[in-house]
Amino acid sequence: MSNAVIEIRNLSKIYRDFWGRKKVQAVKSLSMDVMQGEVFGLLGPNGSGKTTTMKMLLGLLFPTSGEMTILGKPASDVTKNERIGYLPEESYLYRFLNADETLDFYGRLFNMSAADRARRADELIEMVGLGKARRRQLKEYSKGMTRRIGLAQALINNPDLVLLDEPTSGLDPIGTREMKDLIIQLKAQGKTVVMCSHQLADVQDVCDRIAVLFQGELKVLGRVDELLELRNEMQMRTPTLSDEAMADIRQVLKKHNVSDVEFSRPKADLEQLFLRTVRESGERPGRRFSTEEVAASGRN
Amino acid sequence: MDFDVRPYNFTSATTSWLILLAILAGLGLVLPLASLAGRGGAAGLVDFRRGLISYLEDLFSLSLRRIAALASLTLKEAVRRKALLVFVMFAVLLMFAGWFITDSNERAELQVSVHVTFLLTAISWLLLPALIFLSCWALPEDIRLRSLHTVVTKPARRMEIVIGRMAGLGVVVAILLVVMGVIGQFWLSRRIPENARSALQCRVPLFGELYFISSEGQPQETGLNVGDVWAYRSHIPGNSRARAVYVFRGVDESALTRNEQGEEELLLECRFEAFRTVKGSESSIVKGISAQYTLSVNPREEAFGMLAQSEATRAIADALREGQYKTASAELKKLTERIRTAPGELRPADYFGLHFGMFVSGTVLENRKDPALGNLGRLFIEAALTGEGVTAALQQQERGEKVEIPYEAFAAKVDLVADGLTERSAVLMETLQRMEVPLPSFNVSEYHDLDESSTNLTRIPRRLRFVADYETLGRFLAAEIARKNDAGGLLADGALKASLTEELVKESRISQLNAERLVAVLGEQLTAGTLAVDAGKLKVADGRSWYLFFDDLIRREQLVSEDTEGWMIEKDLLQDLIQDPNGDRYLRVEVACINDQMYLGMARPDLFIRKADQPFWVGYWKAILSILLMLLLIIVLGVTVSCVVKGPVALLFTLTFFIVGQFFHDFMIRKLAGVEKGTGTVESMILIAQHRNPEVGMDVSSATMNVVRAADLGLDGVLRGFSMIVPDFAVFNRASMYVENRFDVPFRDVLLPSIVVFFGFLIPCILIGGALLKFRELEAK
Ligand SMILES: Nc1ncnc2c1ncn2[C@@H]1O[C@H](COP(=O)(O)OP(=O)(O)OP(=O)(O)O)[C@@H](O)[C@H]1O
Ligand SMILES: [Mg+2]
Repeated sequence: MSNAVIEIRNLSKIYRDFWGRKKVQAVKSLSMDVMQGEVFGLLGPNGSGKTTTMKMLLGLLFPTSGEMTILGKPASDVTKNERIGYLPEESYLYRFLNADETLDFYGRLFNMSAADRARRADELIEMVGLGKARRRQLKEYSKGMTRRIGLAQALINNPDLVLLDEPTSGLDPIGTREMKDLIIQLKAQGKTVVMCSHQLADVQDVCDRIAVLFQGELKVLGRVDELLELRNEMQMRTPTLSDEAMADIRQVLKKHNVSDVEFSRPKADLEQLFLRTVRESGERPGRRFSTEEVAASGRN
Repeated sequence: MDFDVRPYNFTSATTSWLILLAILAGLGLVLPLASLAGRGGAAGLVDFRRGLISYLEDLFSLSLRRIAALASLTLKEAVRRKALLVFVMFAVLLMFAGWFITDSNERAELQVSVHVTFLLTAISWLLLPALIFLSCWALPEDIRLRSLHTVVTKPARRMEIVIGRMAGLGVVVAILLVVMGVIGQFWLSRRIPENARSALQCRVPLFGELYFISSEGQPQETGLNVGDVWAYRSHIPGNSRARAVYVFRGVDESALTRNEQGEEELLLECRFEAFRTVKGSESSIVKGISAQYTLSVNPREEAFGMLAQSEATRAIADALREGQYKTASAELKKLTERIRTAPGELRPADYFGLHFGMFVSGTVLENRKDPALGNLGRLFIEAALTGEGVTAALQQQERGEKVEIPYEAFAAKVDLVADGLTERSAVLMETLQRMEVPLPSFNVSEYHDLDESSTNLTRIPRRLRFVADYETLGRFLAAEIARKNDAGGLLADGALKASLTEELVKESRISQLNAERLVAVLGEQLTAGTLAVDAGKLKVADGRSWYLFFDDLIRREQLVSEDTEGWMIEKDLLQDLIQDPNGDRYLRVEVACINDQMYLGMARPDLFIRKADQPFWVGYWKAILSILLMLLLIIVLGVTVSCVVKGPVALLFTLTFFIVGQFFHDFMIRKLAGVEKGTGTVESMILIAQHRNPEVGMDVSSATMNVVRAADLGLDGVLRGFSMIVPDFAVFNRASMYVENRFDVPFRDVLLPSIVVFFGFLIPCILIGGALLKFRELEAK
């Protein structure tokens, strides 16, 4: 296994009010590592401390106790930011700038040259699909568009470590799909990705490892496939079977003392349905699809 | 209040700045250290060290490019958020202002000053609230909306964010000001009625120092007070020995202007106040009071004037000032006789006046660094020091202590001075020369509420022609004849040259009649044998100096001019009247009031040398620059404070700083320096409650009294701290004040202090703001 990009040891965070009185303990004695090149998911219900952990890693919040290093540097060291991309929970950008200006501005904070900035901005705007809106001020953007430009700014410096706080919130399913593809792509480029989410499906699709937090405490930590494997069940997939075929199969299984058999048609999930519909609407505009057509298209 | 010019005290400003910086640095290190160590013990110390190192690393890795990016962000924000709407308000204001402030019946100067005041005030007061708001709100708003999160998670240092904010807002305000300035310039040149536009002046003044000589001939810091509440001006009585003496330093060619004929001249502008004690005729009231300037070189006054302080030594001082050193020496001997035989006859004040006066004399003489004067100055100083011993002993005696009073030692030292004076009287006569150039008198109007109208402009040609007094004439003739004689130009074949008269007229620039008279007298003296011929040159037979020779002739009325103009001679203002005893060239102008029973009032800025005028807009833009510096300082303070508190609190802070700095800074300083009379804060309140005045004091027990005094001391300390932290915003108003009074804005006394104050705050503010932002959590609400 490769080496750790993030190391967290006994990290705790207590939010205090103005008078120093304890309000809430958001993170309790958290210890975990994130390895080079993996996609790591931080899971947990609302208020479980995911965002707080991420902000401490970035130096936005100071831990009450505990140690952490990120890319080998302490969290309070700004120079680590050279190699980090961060997408906040909501996109906190300057609403009076347009997409081009936004990317240019953040590029300048990395001391990038003007040519580099322009090239990178073109790539990213293309990638997040904001080509048409690049000259409009962000205050006119929809939530999803804001998320997209937020993502673009997070990647402006071609970071080695990407921290994504609920990357799919506010995105339409296409956006979600694209986001997941992107994460997989980033992983393929050898980058490390840490994402928080409670969209379990998303996490399941892309993450190598996950940690589950509950009220600030680490409850589960491990590889997704290992965690989700149902060790006492098997699954088999065939084209539609005749009734005799099914009966025969039952017979065969009975010989092996398996009586608890269930036959059903697999359901396409809504995500796939949505994606298909949108794709076909693009190919054949102006049509509305009947249930049969939808079901039929699901078959191929 | 009257327009006053005070030189800015850089030394004290710098000192208190350094002290403040040291205190802040100390606090900045000690407080976090204490709090970290208190909470985390040894780990806290490690945290502190890490924080400090990281702060210093940040400091040395600041990037101009990132700062520029952040600044241009601020600029864009201001533009897109319509901060430029201020212009519209400004334009509207200017459009309607004309209705209220234009009165073409007023005097031109007043109209100009009203317009300029209005414009400059409008500019600063329009921008001020907008800027205080912008600078205090921007950063907290960035934190509240969390747009700062995205910035600080880039490699931007927090200090860069602070600097970028300041710089961006600075550019915004600079642009606003330039545009407003241009509009204002256009408005002024249009709006001011045609007849008043000539008063759009930018006079370049050279102010001097002022002291007074009383009717008794004593030099004094102030003149008489004729009962003004503000005591702004001091007065000199008319038809007396009283003078006001202005000393202008640094006078050289640059102080001169050229008139229409291209001749060099010196302009003296004054606005004195006339005050009369008796009713005059109507015509005399209209005419006002006559005043007269005398340009003078008067080293004897400067050296010995102070000796006139006490009555016992006034005769000595007068003799010395007249150049009668032997008389003075004899008077001094008489005095030492009195000190030896009846020391009690002289009052302590006399001893004080004597030793103080001698100290001044000694210092002035020593400062001349003239080897011919030998150790005469030293003798004076030694006598003064011994005299100080007498004064000190007298004071001890007053308090009832038994002491030996060193009368004898003092008398001995004074005797040495007396001997020194006799010994060196010839040298003194040569080195301490007095020259007085009286100028024509002029009238000062009595209506001093319209004080601008009493302005008088006197043009003094560089080549001065004037009727010389005895001493000046004697010196002049001695110098001219000696010069000619040394060049062998007086004699031909053992007798006076035939062409001597013409040559004298041409070379010495004296009238034909006077030259003839002079040659005739020289001839008579040669015949009489008082002059002799020696090796082709003329010499005074008894070996006296030429000056003494001519002085004698003049006093014996041998040289009375037959010219109706009298003995008119010529001098060069810069060469002959600017004195330069130790590299510090200065011009001495004495002002006298001529009319009996009238008084002439004056303050330091009332008389100045007016150098060549600048175009009005030079001063105007300097005033705008000064406003810019003030607004920049507001930005710096606002941004710094807003690094740690929320918008409204930052606003309150900055506003307090501004108001206290603008209106009470001066008061604080004066109160602390004890200039502002009065008791401590608590004591004053008790006095008010008890209806008692400070002289009587509080009606409380002595224990309470001590508590009150201690409390006042504490409050003074707080005030002192406050006065150091709060910038002196009044500094920035000075430039406008100059321009409103149609003066140029001097760099050293006005612009430089503004710049210094600005940078004095900028640097610590950036350091503090950067630290505040770095060591705070952006999340905590
Ligand atoms: N600035 C703050 N001041 C006080 N308490 C806070 C602050 N921010 C978060 N908290 C508290 O800390 C706990 C953890 O919050 P956090 O935002 O980390 O949760 P999360 O896991 O990101 O939740 P979500 O899924 O809703 O984004 C919550 O109880 C929250 O109320
Ligand atoms: Mg969250």
